[in-house]
Amino acid sequence: MKRKIVVDHLCRVEGHGGITVELDGDVVSDVQFQVFEGLRLVEGLVRGRRYEDVSQIVSRICAICSVAHALTSLKATEEASGIESSPQTVRLRDLMYRGENIESHALHLFFLAIPDYLDYAGAAEMAADHREAVALGLRLKQLGNAIQETIGGRAVHPVNAILGGFGKLPSFDQLISLQRRLRQGMVDCEAAVDLFTTLPSTEYCQIDTTYAAKRSPDPYGYYPGDEIVVRSNEGSEVYDPGDYRAVIREETVPYSHAKLSLHKDKPFMVGALARLAIDHDRLSSRARHAVRMLGLPLPSGNPMDNNKAQMVELVIDVEHALLTVEQLIDEGLQQEKPIAIHPRADTGTAVTEAPRGLLIHSYTYDSDGRVVAADVVTPTAMNAASMENHFRHAVEQSVEKDLPELKRKLEMIARAYDPCISCSVHLVRKRHAI
Amino acid sequence: MSRPNVGIFGLTGCAGDQLVILNCEDRFLHIIAALNIRDFAMASSDNDSACDLDLAIVEGAVLSRRDEEQLERIRARSRILVAIGTCAVWGGIAAMDGDTDRSQLVRDIYGECGEQFDTTPARALHEIVGVDLNISGCPIEEEEFLSGISNLLNGDLPIAPTTPVCAECKMREYNCLLTERVDMCLGPLTLGGCNARCPGLSIGCVGCRGPVDDANLESVTALFMENGFGREDIARKLRTFAGLRVVAHTLSEDES
Repeated sequence: MKRKIVVDHLCRVEGHGGITVELDGDVVSDVQFQVFEGLRLVEGLVRGRRYEDVSQIVSRICAICSVAHALTSLKATEEASGIESSPQTVRLRDLMYRGENIESHALHLFFLAIPDYLDYAGAAEMAADHREAVALGLRLKQLGNAIQETIGGRAVHPVNAILGGFGKLPSFDQLISLQRRLRQGMVDCEAAVDLFTTLPSTEYCQIDTTYAAKRSPDPYGYYPGDEIVVRSNEGSEVYDPGDYRAVIREETVPYSHAKLSLHKDKPFMVGALARLAIDHDRLSSRARHAVRMLGLPLPSGNPMDNNKAQMVELVIDVEHALLTVEQLIDEGLQQEKPIAIHPRADTGTAVTEAPRGLLIHSYTYDSDGRVVAADVVTPTAMNAASMENHFRHAVEQSVEKDLPELKRKLEMIARAYDPCISCSVHLVRKRHAI
Repeated sequence: MSRPNVGIFGLTGCAGDQLVILNCEDRFLHIIAALNIRDFAMASSDNDSACDLDLAIVEGAVLSRRDEEQLERIRARSRILVAIGTCAVWGGIAAMDGDTDRSQLVRDIYGECGEQFDTTPARALHEIVGVDLNISGCPIEEEEFLSGISNLLNGDLPIAPTTPVCAECKMREYNCLLTERVDMCLGPLTLGGCNARCPGLSIGCVGCRGPVDDANLESVTALFMENGFGREDIARKLRTFAGLRVVAHTLSEDES
C-alpha cells in the first residue's frame, strides 16, 4: 500500500520549506526536502561591485547567520588581496562568531526545538507553564546579541567589521559589561544543561553519518583556520579550502530551490554535531562535563543529537567568550587602524563555521577590485541531502507507523538540523572562466 | 484594549526583521501578553491561517507568484498591514539590479531544472497591495518598531523618522566622513532613525534604511564625483538597497 507523509510548510524554522516522504509498504520510495524560498540571485548582484561593498550585500543572505556571511566574505576578500589580519582582529572576529552562535543556538533550542519535546506549539505557548525556562533562553539569547552589538555594532547584519579590521574598537567599559554578563551566562548554561537532561529521549534514527567541519589551529575556533575535515567511519580526510569543489558536488533537483550536496556520492552533515564529532578530543573540562551530563555519544548517528551538540556549544562558547573578554581586559586593546586593501586580480576562498555549519565564500576580483565571479556554499544547502537521508531512515526504522506520529518525527528531525532556508537557496553561479 | 489578533509573516528575505522582533528579549513576555499572535510560522507551529487579523506585520520582498498570492491573502484578512524592513518597503537588495535577465540567470544557476521555477523580479509590498505603515531598515530598529506598533494599537499615528542619517550624525557631532575622509557616505540621502549607527563607528552609511524624502541627489552626486568616484560606482552604491533605484536609473541614463 502506498502512503504519503506531507509537511506543507515547516514551521518554527527560518524560511520556507516542506517535506514529502512516500512509502510503499514499510519502504520509503521517495523523500524530498523542498525549499520554496524565492530566488534572490545574489550572484548577479555582487558581480561588478567593488571589494569594499561585498560584505554588506552578502550579509543579507541570512540574518541569523549574518556575522558568518559578512566575516567569511571579508576573510575571502582579504585572502584575494593578499593581506593577513592582525591577531587582535582574528580574536575579535572569532568573538563575534561566539556571540552569533550563542544567540542562534539559544533561539533554536528554546524557541524552536524544546517546545516539541514538551509538546508546545512554540515558546510563547510554553511560557505559560515554563516561564523560567523561557526566561533562561531569552537571557542566553540576549547575551549572544550583546556580544554581537558590542563588537559588531549591531545584532543583525553587523556593521563594525570591515576589510582589514574594525571601524571602532570596543571600550574598556563595554568589555567589563560583557564580562559581567558572560559570568551570568556561565551560570545560565549550567541551568540550561540541567533542563536539557530532563527532556524525553529522541532516538529516532541511527545510521553511519559522514561529517564535515573546519578544523582550527586553536581548539574549537569558528573563524581562524581553513582546513576542511571530512570524517566518516572509514576515517578522516583533510582538504585545503581552495579544493572545496572536490569535497562537495552539487546536484540540481526540480523540487527544490536548494541544490543537493554530496561528498563522494554520499550525503554529509555539517553543524554543531559535526564540529563536536571532529573536535571532541580538544574540548575543555566544562564542555566534556556537559557532553557526559547530556549523554551525547561522539560521533553520533542520531541527527536529534544535534540539539544536544548545540547545548554543548553554548557551554563552549560562553566559556570561550569569557576567556577572550578577560584576556582583552587584561592585555588592553591595541588601537589598530584597519589595514588598507590594495585590490589585485586574484581569487580568495575562505572557510568558517557558521552556527549551522561549514560556510564557504569564494570571490574572484579584477585588478580594479571589482567582483568577476562569486560562489557561496551554505551549511543548510550542504545539509539538504543528509536531511533527506535521515528522513528516509527515521521513517524506515520507526516502530510506530502511524502517519501523524511519523510526521511529528520528521518535523523534529528537520528542526534538529536547524535549517536556515534563506541560506539554502543557491545564491550564486558556479565559478566560470574569466 | 482587548488583545488584538496579530499575524507576523515573512516573504522572501533574510528573516532579519522577524529576528529583531524575537530579539526584543526584555519585552518578549510583555509582547506576547499584549498581542494575540495567531499566525507566526517562524515561532509557532499552531497557526490559524484563515482568521481575520487586526494587524498583519510583513517582512521580505515579493519574488515569486507564491509570495504575491500569500501577500494578497494576508491583505484580504487584515485591517492594518505594516511593511517591515527595507525589502518589504523598497524591494531590498534583490531589487538592486532590475535590468538583469532573470530567466537567463536562473538557467545559468540551475540549468534546465530552473526553467520551471517560480520566480519574478523583486517588488516592494506597496507595488502589489495597499500598505498602512512602512517601517524601513535593514534590519528595522527595535524601538521604532515597538513604538510604531504600540501607537497603531492605541489609535495614535506612529511617529516616523523624516530626517536623513546625516542630520542624526551632525546632532551627535561625529566626524564627517564625506568631507574629512572622502568616503562615499550615503548619510545625506538615507532615511534616519538609526542614530547614525555606522558613521558613529567611523564607517560610511551604506543606505540600508532606504532613501529620505527630498534628498538632494544631484548635489551629493557632484560631491562624490569631486571626491574621485566614478558615475557607475556611485549608481551601483545608490542602488544597493533598492530604495534609490529610480533615481539611480536616471543617473545611469545620464551617462549614456
